[in-house]
Amino acid sequence: MAAQELRLRDRTALLLQREVGRLLAPLWIPVVIAVMRFGMGWRIEGKREARERFRALRRGSPGGLLVCANHLTMVDSFVIAWALAPAWWYVLHYGSVAWNTPERENFARTWPMRALVYVMKCIPVRRGGDRREVGRVLARFTWLVSRGEVGLMFPEGGRSRTSRVDTSATTYGVGRIVRALPGARVLCVYQRGNGQESWSDLPARGERFRVRVDELEPKSSRRGLRGSLAVSQQVLGKLAEMEQEHFHARA
Amino acid sequence: MERKEIFEKVVKILTPHVKNQAALAGVSDATHILDELKVNSARLVDVVLAFEDEFDIEIPDEDVDSVNTVGDCVGLVLAKLG
Repeated sequence: MAAQELRLRDRTALLLQREVGRLLAPLWIPVVIAVMRFGMGWRIEGKREARERFRALRRGSPGGLLVCANHLTMVDSFVIAWALAPAWWYVLHYGSVAWNTPERENFARTWPMRALVYVMKCIPVRRGGDRREVGRVLARFTWLVSRGEVGLMFPEGGRSRTSRVDTSATTYGVGRIVRALPGARVLCVYQRGNGQESWSDLPARGERFRVRVDELEPKSSRRGLRGSLAVSQQVLGKLAEMEQEHFHARA
Repeated sequence: MERKEIFEKVVKILTPHVKNQAALAGVSDATHILDELKVNSARLVDVVLAFEDEFDIEIPDEDVDSVNTVGDCVGLVLAKLG
Protein backbone atom coordinates (compact mmCIF):
# COMPACT_ATOMS: atom_id res chain seq x y z
CA MET A 1 0.00 0.00 0.00
CA ALA A 2 1.58 3.29 -1.04
CA ALA A 3 1.49 6.34 1.25
CA GLN A 4 -0.79 8.28 -1.06
CA GLU A 5 -3.33 5.46 -0.87
CA LEU A 6 -3.66 5.76 2.88
CA ARG A 7 -7.29 5.87 3.89
CA LEU A 8 -8.79 9.08 5.22
CA ARG A 9 -9.53 7.28 8.49
CA ASP A 10 -5.86 6.35 8.91
CA ARG A 11 -4.69 9.86 8.08
CA THR A 12 -7.13 11.38 10.55
CA ALA A 13 -6.05 8.95 13.26
CA LEU A 14 -2.39 9.80 12.71
CA LEU A 15 -3.06 13.54 12.78
CA LEU A 16 -5.05 13.10 15.99
CA GLN A 17 -2.21 11.06 17.52
CA ARG A 18 0.25 13.78 16.54
CA GLU A 19 -1.89 16.50 18.14
CA VAL A 20 -2.38 14.57 21.38
CA GLY A 21 1.37 14.05 21.61
CA ARG A 22 2.06 17.69 20.77
CA LEU A 23 -0.29 18.95 23.48
CA LEU A 24 1.40 16.70 26.04
CA ALA A 25 4.92 17.35 24.73
CA PRO A 26 5.84 19.95 27.40
CA LEU A 27 5.26 17.18 29.95
CA TRP A 28 6.59 14.00 28.44
CA ILE A 29 9.63 15.16 26.51
CA PRO A 30 11.43 16.86 29.44
CA VAL A 31 10.54 13.93 31.69
CA VAL A 32 12.01 11.38 29.28
CA ILE A 33 15.23 13.34 28.90
CA ALA A 34 15.46 14.01 32.64
CA VAL A 35 15.14 10.28 33.34
CA MET A 36 18.04 9.57 30.97
CA ARG A 37 20.20 12.37 32.24
CA PHE A 38 19.52 12.39 35.96
CA GLY A 39 17.83 9.05 36.59
CA MET A 40 20.24 6.90 34.59
CA GLY A 41 23.16 9.31 34.65
CA TRP A 42 23.80 8.97 30.93
CA ARG A 43 25.93 11.44 28.98
CA ILE A 44 26.35 11.92 25.24
CA GLU A 45 29.55 13.00 23.50
CA GLY A 46 29.26 14.57 20.05
CA LYS A 47 25.87 16.15 20.80
CA ARG A 48 26.82 19.60 19.56
CA GLU A 49 27.80 18.50 16.05
CA ALA A 50 24.86 16.11 15.84
CA ARG A 51 22.42 18.84 16.81
CA GLU A 52 23.87 21.33 14.34
CA ARG A 53 23.60 18.83 11.49
CA PHE A 54 20.09 17.82 12.51
CA ARG A 55 18.81 21.38 12.69
CA ALA A 56 20.43 22.26 9.36
CA LEU A 57 18.79 19.27 7.74
CA ARG A 58 15.41 20.10 9.27
CA ARG A 59 15.63 23.60 7.85
CA GLY A 60 16.59 22.32 4.43
CA SER A 61 14.35 19.30 4.06
CA PRO A 62 10.70 20.27 3.71
CA GLY A 63 10.15 16.82 2.17
CA GLY A 64 10.79 15.10 5.47
CA LEU A 65 13.76 13.43 7.05
CA LEU A 66 14.48 9.79 7.68
CA VAL A 67 16.90 9.04 10.50
CA CYS A 68 18.56 5.64 10.14
CA ALA A 69 20.54 4.29 13.05
CA ASN A 70 22.35 1.26 14.40
CA HIS A 71 20.45 -0.67 17.05
CA LEU A 72 21.90 -2.11 20.26
CA THR A 73 19.42 -1.47 23.07
CA MET A 74 15.68 -1.04 23.55
CA VAL A 75 16.04 2.65 24.34
CA ASP A 76 18.15 3.67 21.34
CA SER A 77 15.37 5.85 19.95
CA PHE A 78 15.29 7.91 23.17
CA VAL A 79 19.08 8.31 23.24
CA ILE A 80 19.10 9.34 19.58
CA ALA A 81 16.33 11.88 20.16
CA TRP A 82 18.27 13.38 23.04
CA ALA A 83 21.46 13.47 20.96
CA LEU A 84 19.79 15.30 18.09
CA ALA A 85 18.05 18.14 19.96
CA PRO A 86 17.32 19.49 23.43
CA ALA A 87 13.90 19.01 25.04
CA TRP A 88 12.80 22.62 24.62
CA TRP A 89 13.55 22.51 20.88
CA TYR A 90 11.35 19.45 20.43
CA VAL A 91 8.53 21.14 22.30
CA LEU A 92 8.75 24.12 19.95
CA HIS A 93 9.36 22.02 16.82
CA TYR A 94 7.21 19.00 17.44
CA GLY A 95 7.53 17.78 13.84
CA SER A 96 11.18 17.04 14.64
CA VAL A 97 10.27 14.42 17.23
CA ALA A 98 10.79 11.23 15.25
CA TRP A 99 8.05 8.74 14.53
CA ASN A 100 9.10 5.27 15.44
CA THR A 101 7.86 1.72 14.79
CA PRO A 102 8.65 -0.26 17.96
CA GLU A 103 8.02 -3.96 18.34
CA ARG A 104 4.51 -4.39 19.75
CA GLU A 105 5.46 -7.23 22.09
CA ASN A 106 8.19 -5.16 23.70
CA PHE A 107 6.51 -1.77 23.86
CA ALA A 108 2.75 -2.10 23.50
CA ARG A 109 1.74 -5.23 25.39
CA THR A 110 -0.55 -3.51 27.87
CA TRP A 111 -2.95 -0.55 27.77
CA PRO A 112 -0.66 1.78 29.77
CA MET A 113 2.23 0.90 27.44
CA ARG A 114 0.04 1.47 24.38
CA ALA A 115 -1.04 4.85 25.75
CA LEU A 116 2.57 5.85 26.34
CA VAL A 117 3.80 4.87 22.89
CA TYR A 118 0.75 6.56 21.36
CA VAL A 119 1.76 9.85 22.92
CA MET A 120 5.41 9.30 21.95
CA LYS A 121 4.77 9.21 18.20
CA CYS A 122 5.04 5.46 17.84
CA ILE A 123 3.26 3.09 15.48
CA PRO A 124 3.78 -0.35 17.02
CA VAL A 125 4.36 -3.24 14.66
CA ARG A 126 4.61 -6.99 15.14
CA ARG A 127 7.87 -7.95 13.48
CA GLY A 128 7.42 -11.11 11.52
CA GLY A 129 3.67 -10.60 11.71
CA ASP A 130 1.05 -10.46 9.00
CA ARG A 131 2.71 -8.88 5.97
CA ARG A 132 -0.38 -6.81 5.19
CA GLU A 133 -0.27 -5.28 8.66
CA VAL A 134 3.44 -4.57 8.34
CA GLY A 135 2.71 -2.99 4.95
CA ARG A 136 0.02 -0.77 6.46
CA VAL A 137 2.43 0.41 9.17
CA LEU A 138 5.06 1.23 6.54
CA ALA A 139 2.44 3.13 4.53
CA ARG A 140 1.46 5.22 7.57
CA PHE A 141 5.09 5.89 8.40
CA THR A 142 5.84 6.90 4.80
CA TRP A 143 2.86 9.22 4.69
CA LEU A 144 3.98 10.98 7.86
CA VAL A 145 7.52 11.55 6.57
CA SER A 146 6.09 12.77 3.25
CA ARG A 147 4.27 15.47 5.25
CA GLY A 148 7.58 16.82 6.56
CA GLU A 149 7.79 14.81 9.76
CA VAL A 150 10.91 13.00 10.95
CA GLY A 151 10.94 9.22 10.95
CA LEU A 152 13.40 6.93 12.74
CA MET A 153 14.23 3.47 11.44
CA PHE A 154 16.70 0.77 12.34
CA PRO A 155 17.70 -0.74 8.99
CA GLU A 156 18.95 -3.97 10.53
CA GLY A 157 15.36 -4.74 11.52
CA GLY A 158 16.32 -5.52 15.13
CA ARG A 159 19.09 -5.15 17.67
CA SER A 160 22.52 -6.14 16.33
CA ARG A 161 22.93 -9.70 17.54
CA THR A 162 26.58 -9.70 16.50
CA SER A 163 27.08 -6.43 18.41
CA ARG A 164 28.22 -4.87 15.13
CA VAL A 165 26.19 -3.40 12.26
CA ASP A 166 24.98 -6.40 10.29
CA THR A 167 25.47 -5.46 6.63
CA SER A 168 24.18 -8.85 5.56
CA ALA A 169 20.70 -8.11 6.92
CA THR A 170 18.33 -8.39 3.97
CA THR A 171 15.75 -5.91 5.15
CA TYR A 172 14.17 -3.64 2.59
CA GLY A 173 11.85 -1.39 4.65
CA VAL A 174 14.23 1.57 4.69
CA GLY A 175 14.83 1.28 0.96
CA ARG A 176 11.14 1.05 0.29
CA ILE A 177 10.44 4.24 2.26
CA VAL A 178 13.37 6.17 0.78
CA ARG A 179 12.28 5.28 -2.75
CA ALA A 180 8.71 6.29 -2.00
CA LEU A 181 9.88 9.74 -0.84
CA PRO A 182 12.03 11.34 -3.54
CA GLY A 183 12.34 14.65 -1.65
CA ALA A 184 13.23 13.16 1.70
CA ARG A 185 16.73 13.27 3.22
CA VAL A 186 18.48 10.49 5.10
CA LEU A 187 20.50 11.13 8.22
CA CYS A 188 22.59 8.18 9.40
CA VAL A 189 23.22 8.09 13.15
CA TYR A 190 25.71 5.83 14.85
CA GLN A 191 25.54 5.83 18.63
CA ARG A 192 27.09 3.51 21.15
CA GLY A 193 27.83 3.55 24.85
CA ASN A 194 31.49 3.16 25.77
CA GLY A 195 30.61 0.13 27.88
CA GLN A 196 28.19 -1.34 25.33
CA GLU A 197 30.10 -4.43 24.25
CA SER A 198 27.07 -6.25 22.90
CA TRP A 199 23.32 -5.79 22.43
CA SER A 200 21.16 -5.54 25.55
CA ASP A 201 17.84 -4.26 26.85
CA LEU A 202 19.20 -1.18 28.63
CA PRO A 203 22.55 0.61 28.62
CA ALA A 204 24.37 0.60 31.96
CA ARG A 205 23.72 3.31 34.54
CA GLY A 206 26.22 6.15 34.12
CA GLU A 207 26.91 5.13 30.52
CA ARG A 208 28.70 7.62 28.27
CA PHE A 209 27.54 7.52 24.66
CA ARG A 210 29.38 8.70 21.58
CA VAL A 211 27.22 9.81 18.65
CA ARG A 212 28.16 10.35 15.01
CA VAL A 213 25.92 11.66 12.25
CA ASP A 214 26.28 11.81 8.49
CA GLU A 215 23.96 12.56 5.63
CA LEU A 216 23.42 10.07 2.84
CA GLU A 217 21.63 10.13 -0.48
CA PRO A 218 21.11 6.46 -1.31
CA LYS A 219 20.08 5.65 -4.86
CA SER A 220 19.45 2.66 -7.03
CA SER A 221 18.58 2.33 -10.67
CA ARG A 222 17.14 -1.12 -10.02
CA ARG A 223 13.40 -1.55 -9.77
CA GLY A 224 11.16 -3.36 -7.36
CA LEU A 225 12.40 -5.25 -4.34
CA ARG A 226 16.01 -5.35 -5.57
CA GLY A 227 16.08 -1.56 -5.77
CA SER A 228 14.76 -1.21 -2.21
CA LEU A 229 17.23 -3.80 -1.01
CA ALA A 230 20.10 -1.94 -2.70
CA VAL A 231 19.11 1.32 -0.99
CA SER A 232 18.88 -0.42 2.40
CA GLN A 233 22.32 -1.95 1.82
CA GLN A 234 23.80 1.50 1.14
CA VAL A 235 22.39 2.78 4.43
CA LEU A 236 23.74 -0.26 6.29
CA GLY A 237 27.10 0.20 4.58
CA LYS A 238 27.24 3.79 5.74
CA LEU A 239 26.42 2.78 9.32
CA ALA A 240 29.13 0.11 9.21
CA GLU A 241 31.61 2.74 7.99
CA MET A 242 30.61 5.03 10.87
CA GLU A 243 31.06 2.12 13.25
CA GLN A 244 34.62 1.63 12.03
CA GLU A 245 35.29 5.33 12.61
CA HIS A 246 33.81 4.99 16.10
CA PHE A 247 36.16 2.17 17.08
CA HIS A 248 39.12 3.74 15.31
CA ALA A 249 38.61 6.94 17.33
CA ARG A 250 38.43 4.92 20.57
CA ALA A 251 41.60 2.95 19.83
CA MET B 1 3.40 -23.11 -16.48
CA GLU B 2 0.80 -25.01 -14.49
CA ARG B 3 -0.22 -24.13 -10.95
CA LYS B 4 1.02 -27.45 -9.61
CA GLU B 5 4.46 -26.92 -11.09
CA ILE B 6 4.62 -23.41 -9.61
CA PHE B 7 3.53 -24.74 -6.22
CA GLU B 8 6.33 -27.32 -6.25
CA LYS B 9 8.94 -24.74 -7.20
CA VAL B 10 7.67 -22.34 -4.52
CA VAL B 11 7.98 -25.07 -1.87
CA LYS B 12 11.46 -25.94 -3.12
CA ILE B 13 12.53 -22.30 -2.80
CA LEU B 14 11.02 -22.06 0.69
CA THR B 15 12.54 -25.31 1.97
CA PRO B 16 16.07 -24.08 2.88
CA HIS B 17 14.50 -21.32 5.01
CA VAL B 18 11.98 -23.53 6.82
CA LYS B 19 12.71 -24.05 10.52
CA ASN B 20 9.73 -26.33 11.14
CA GLN B 21 10.63 -29.12 8.72
CA ALA B 22 7.77 -31.28 10.05
CA ALA B 23 5.26 -28.78 8.65
CA LEU B 24 6.64 -29.36 5.16
CA ALA B 25 5.14 -32.85 5.10
CA GLY B 26 1.61 -31.47 4.97
CA VAL B 27 2.32 -28.27 3.12
CA SER B 28 -0.63 -26.84 1.19
CA ASP B 29 -1.85 -23.53 -0.22
CA ALA B 30 -3.15 -22.61 3.24
CA THR B 31 0.15 -23.20 5.03
CA HIS B 32 1.32 -19.98 6.70
CA ILE B 33 4.94 -19.25 5.84
CA LEU B 34 5.91 -17.40 9.01
CA ASP B 35 3.59 -18.98 11.60
CA GLU B 36 3.63 -22.62 10.45
CA LEU B 37 6.80 -23.10 8.43
CA LYS B 38 8.59 -20.73 10.83
CA VAL B 39 10.49 -18.97 8.08
CA ASN B 40 12.27 -15.93 9.56
CA SER B 41 10.52 -12.78 8.32
CA ALA B 42 13.90 -11.30 7.34
CA ARG B 43 14.42 -14.27 5.01
CA LEU B 44 11.16 -13.53 3.20
CA VAL B 45 13.03 -11.03 1.05
CA ASP B 46 15.47 -13.75 -0.05
CA VAL B 47 12.52 -15.98 -0.86
CA VAL B 48 10.81 -13.36 -3.00
CA LEU B 49 14.08 -12.55 -4.79
CA ALA B 50 14.45 -16.27 -5.52
CA PHE B 51 10.94 -16.23 -7.05
CA GLU B 52 12.06 -13.39 -9.32
CA ASP B 53 15.06 -15.39 -10.50
CA GLU B 54 13.29 -18.72 -10.82
CA PHE B 55 10.26 -17.45 -12.72
CA ASP B 56 11.92 -14.48 -14.44
CA ILE B 57 9.43 -12.00 -13.03
CA GLU B 58 9.67 -8.67 -11.20
CA ILE B 59 7.86 -8.26 -7.89
CA PRO B 60 7.19 -4.73 -6.60
CA ASP B 61 7.74 -3.98 -2.89
CA GLU B 62 4.03 -3.61 -2.21
CA ASP B 63 3.28 -7.12 -3.47
CA VAL B 64 5.45 -8.59 -0.72
CA ASP B 65 2.74 -7.38 1.69
CA SER B 66 0.33 -9.90 0.22
CA VAL B 67 2.57 -12.88 0.91
CA ASN B 68 1.42 -14.78 3.99
CA THR B 69 0.73 -18.32 2.82
CA VAL B 70 2.21 -20.69 0.27
CA GLY B 71 -0.94 -20.14 -1.79
CA ASP B 72 -0.31 -16.38 -1.72
CA CYS B 73 3.14 -17.02 -3.23
CA VAL B 74 1.73 -19.23 -5.95
CA GLY B 75 -1.00 -16.68 -6.70
CA LEU B 76 1.54 -13.88 -6.87
CA VAL B 77 3.77 -15.78 -9.29
CA LEU B 78 0.79 -16.75 -11.43
CA ALA B 79 -0.37 -13.14 -11.58
CA LYS B 80 3.09 -11.95 -12.64
CA LEU B 81 3.42 -14.65 -15.28
CA GLY B 82 0.14 -13.39 -16.67
